[in-house]
Amino acid sequence: MKNTPEGVDALSIDRRRFLALAGVAAVVPGAALAAVTDSIPVARRRMLQRNGYAIDAETPLDALSTYLTPNDLFFVRHHWNPQYAGHKGWFLTIDGEVERPLRLTAQDLRRLPRTTVTCVLQCAGNGRGLYQPFVPGVQWKYGAVGNARWTGVRVRDLLEQAGLKRAGHHLHTFGSDKPPVRTPPFHRSVEIEKIMADAIVADEMNGEPLPALHGGPARLVVPGWAGEHWTKWLERLSVAAESQKGFYMETAYRYPKVIGAPGVAVPPAETRPVTELFVKSNVTEAPPRARVGSAALLRGFAFSGTPDVARVEISDDDGQSWQPADLDPQHDPWAWRLWSFRWSPKTAGRRTLFVRATDSAGAVQPREAAWNPSGYLYNGWHSASIEVDA
Amino acid sequence: MRRGTALSVVALTLAALLVSPTDASARRARKKKSPARSRPAAAPSFDPRLPILGTKLAEFPPGPAKAVADQACLACHSVDIVAQQRLTEKQWGAELTKMAGWGADFPADRREELLGYLVKNFGPDAAPWEPVVTRPTGR
Repeated sequence: MKNTPEGVDALSIDRRRFLALAGVAAVVPGAALAAVTDSIPVARRRMLQRNGYAIDAETPLDALSTYLTPNDLFFVRHHWNPQYAGHKGWFLTIDGEVERPLRLTAQDLRRLPRTTVTCVLQCAGNGRGLYQPFVPGVQWKYGAVGNARWTGVRVRDLLEQAGLKRAGHHLHTFGSDKPPVRTPPFHRSVEIEKIMADAIVADEMNGEPLPALHGGPARLVVPGWAGEHWTKWLERLSVAAESQKGFYMETAYRYPKVIGAPGVAVPPAETRPVTELFVKSNVTEAPPRARVGSAALLRGFAFSGTPDVARVEISDDDGQSWQPADLDPQHDPWAWRLWSFRWSPKTAGRRTLFVRATDSAGAVQPREAAWNPSGYLYNGWHSASIEVDA
Repeated sequence: MRRGTALSVVALTLAALLVSPTDASARRARKKKSPARSRPAAAPSFDPRLPILGTKLAEFPPGPAKAVADQACLACHSVDIVAQQRLTEKQWGAELTKMAGWGADFPADRREELLGYLVKNFGPDAAPWEPVVTRPTGR
């Protein structure tokens, strides 16, 4: 972590207060949002605009210090200027390979059995700006990621109500945002197995109606999978035998099957779709200075495309040895896990502390992220630089 | 959609979506003239000197091809997404071909001039680009 605008400044969150607030979050989501928002100091409550229009903005790392990321600090990624439908006149169509096509209003959706999922949403390109050689695209660094409580209706329930046919293997998803001129539409699809397992149509975020900036009235939530699957301003779900075609399926959001040399193009036939997130951890808070013999407190988050993080470790000797960080007790499948670490420096001078995470399937965060031509899923070790006084 | 129309749409959208409730409550508080009825306005939850997201829009740097870049790029997106790239001539050439296919409006006989302008200003050796620090997004 360098001394950039995304860098981390001095600690100021009271841990006991945070844990108390996080406890409230478990039972009263709406109240918890305000409380969690309050726990982030005013000086940290800001966004980093990476595109004025269509809007792209990421969250500074030091504002990602709470279990739930407040809605107004959650990263925004728009492909183009959306037309905000609002709830009046909005409906969701479910058609294709189903026995009984459905057309649901926002009110219809709210009458169906509700479910809540707390999980990470990360843009596939988060960290693109950290790859070398340079990769074209939005130059996200650390903050195109957040953890939120998404509430809505299981897509499985909707498809069962509509009568899913055996021929249906992919769910094509359509939002109301329309591309300008001849830009290809943002049409995506998700395998039906993943959809039936845990996807939801969410119309609430952290206990509030889903904000229009985040896809309201409703968006898809696909736990553990990168953001391009989480279609915003959702207006149609269509079951089909084949996956969707077009630029945003066949050219964009693809990852090499075999990692090649940095800077070398990869033919489309040798790529696969980006789906599950890679195991990753970041430092959100670290003191710029410390003193030999006194403990310095570091904090951060860790997550993966598998349901949980098994451990987070810190190294102060360039990765030769690792010490375990404390994991916060609060966690949900595919949510991020907050961690903290008390470091006792033994020698003076500028020191670099690295963090790495290991997920519940045993995947270990690598020192260097695997370079790929579109700059997806960056997950190299993150670090904090601390000046230690004698 | 030309640049003026695009900017109007963006400005209206942002005004509707991004003005924080805190701004609205502050305006209401200012309208109240009776000291007996006035209450201290709630402290904003952000630095009010920061711009609203999407309202601070950079301009392309000066040069003979600036007008071509304005016309080609700004109907669909702001300068930011161009200015943060650090691409070689080959990479910029590929971007221009892609964008022309998607409808970017520039005369074919000024393509080379536009390419040179992009490489000169946003090539591999250009100075680092920094994002605009803004307020939170509002609810």
